[in-house]
Amino acid sequence: MRLVIEGLCVEVAGKEVLRGLDLSMDSGEVHVIMGPNGSGKSTLAHALAARPGYVVTAGSVTLGTTDVLALSASERARAGLLLALQQPLEVPGVRPLEMLRAAGADPVGLRERMSAEAARLGLRDEVLDRFVNVDLSGGERKRAEVVQVGVLRPAFAVFDEIDSGLDVDALGAVARRLDAATREWGCGVLAITHFRRLLHELTPTKIHVVSAGRVVATGGPELAEVLERDGYEPFRALP
Amino acid sequence: MTTFTDAATDYLAPLGTDDVRRRAWAAFEQVGLPTTSDEVWRYAPLADFSLDRFTPVSVPRLVATSEFAQRLAARGALVVRVVDGFLEDGPELEGVRVESLDDERSLDGQSRLTRYAGDAFALLNATFAPSTIVVRVAPGVHVERPIVVLNVTNSSTSFPRLHVEVGRGANATVVEYLEGGEDALVVPLTEYHVGENASLQVVTYQRLAPSAWHVGRSTGFLERDARLRQAVVGVGAHYDRSRNDAEMRASGASNELRTTYLGAGEQVHDFRTHQFHVAPRTQSTLLAKGAVADRSRSIYTGLIEIEKGAKRTDARQTNRNLLLSPSAHADSVPNLEIRENDVVCAHASSVGPLDEMQRWYLESRGVERADAERLMIQGFFNEMMVALPDDVALLIESDVNAALSVVEVHA
Repeated sequence: MRLVIEGLCVEVAGKEVLRGLDLSMDSGEVHVIMGPNGSGKSTLAHALAARPGYVVTAGSVTLGTTDVLALSASERARAGLLLALQQPLEVPGVRPLEMLRAAGADPVGLRERMSAEAARLGLRDEVLDRFVNVDLSGGERKRAEVVQVGVLRPAFAVFDEIDSGLDVDALGAVARRLDAATREWGCGVLAITHFRRLLHELTPTKIHVVSAGRVVATGGPELAEVLERDGYEPFRALP
Repeated sequence: MTTFTDAATDYLAPLGTDDVRRRAWAAFEQVGLPTTSDEVWRYAPLADFSLDRFTPVSVPRLVATSEFAQRLAARGALVVRVVDGFLEDGPELEGVRVESLDDERSLDGQSRLTRYAGDAFALLNATFAPSTIVVRVAPGVHVERPIVVLNVTNSSTSFPRLHVEVGRGANATVVEYLEGGEDALVVPLTEYHVGENASLQVVTYQRLAPSAWHVGRSTGFLERDARLRQAVVGVGAHYDRSRNDAEMRASGASNELRTTYLGAGEQVHDFRTHQFHVAPRTQSTLLAKGAVADRSRSIYTGLIEIEKGAKRTDARQTNRNLLLSPSAHADSVPNLEIRENDVVCAHASSVGPLDEMQRWYLESRGVERADAERLMIQGFFNEMMVALPDDVALLIESDVNAALSVVEVHA
């Protein structure tokens, strides 16, 4: 399957943040988005997940032959496009098991699959019985999002600021899990990150540099080294 | 047409001139029914209320109880069946005595007519309750499983009066369940006396017919180091008024009250509380949480009163309301009356719709909107349900969830 984003323009609070963003990727690939603060990386992630307040003014997103932008937030997830948030929200009173069941996960052996996913990420199992993201540390929340990905097995998983809140060991575990996901069910991984360290464990097919709401450069893993050395300055788009 | 007054006259005819019921009726006639110009009755749909629709009951109408009531009863160590206010039979359990008494006094020793002077509905109960049903737990007795009080209304009115007395150092759980009451007026008057270092946990689950008028009042009297943990869950009735008071009469007494309500259609849930701290080092913790859908309304008015000398009292009051429709209303009026400086007091309240971002988060996992809303509303109630005694928590929670599942959400 192919995820194609073309000419995507998104407004947030009346301000245009994405200005014609193009990006396409295939199942089983790992794409990494890097870019300076305020360049629109997170806006892309949230717009793909139909977050309220993120208004698409132009462009298209297709998943296979499906017009993603015509779908509601839940339909997008069920069509195979799942967002893992930078700051996963607390939902008091709702337990992860109920949430995942309502999200369409096969109820047979669901709790066991959740445990197995948590174990792969070094997440304490008892965290899975708490209310969704309530009383979890930042790192636990991030790993709980990856548990959801492992259980729901989306065609494409989008990770907003995948490394924030994770220590080196946890990041390694998350990267290894996603790397395995690309092989286990051909999961396409679109990861937004600030740091190169993720890339040690999760080899990107492509790296995209986003600036001022557009992809301004695309390259292989070697692009990360260029960014490391020269920073974003040479890639800055004209305003 | 026979008026309620005519019916009352017939009802009272066989009684002696100085019978307490006659005096209660005279007091009621003096006080009269409240009107919406009384601040505390402002939101009651009294315009549709007429006593003439109802008749006092001399003989209970026996009908089989619901399956839910039977399942609840199966979890009890002792089942007290009350039909139209009448105690059905005299159940027994070691250390617990259940009887029907003709008395004139409240559990604080005052005459009932003095204590409830001015409260029209309590005076109706004082007039028409067939007797006081007394549940007495002997000192030092620990009743492991709940005492289940099934309160069924099959007739036009029901005036159940219940006194629960928990002796010194004793420990018990009482689960009261109200059902039936189609087109009926149901006016329970309840008192709890919790003795020194005794502990009483009470659940009142009100699941009356949607056409019922329910005007209930309960008062807890707490002695030294006594604990009263009370959960009131109101789902049924057209008008559901529930006044729950507690008096912390001696040091170390503590009261926890959790009130939960779910409104739909044109329902009104009207909750009043009065936590009265007379003695030092007493505690009260109130949490009222409810959701209102359609054109329903909820009112929460709570007063924490702390007497001079009730030093180091700790009193907290929280009210959270979920609006499930733009036409639903929730009013929250917490009040404090404090005559002592050395106390900790806090209150908080909120009224609002389901959190849009939480809903989006669930939707973005693939949960459809209606399911996301259902999960969130269940979650909102979950906090209240988990505090119910283990023996009945799941049973009541699944019944509340069944009621939730038919509520429409227009966020």
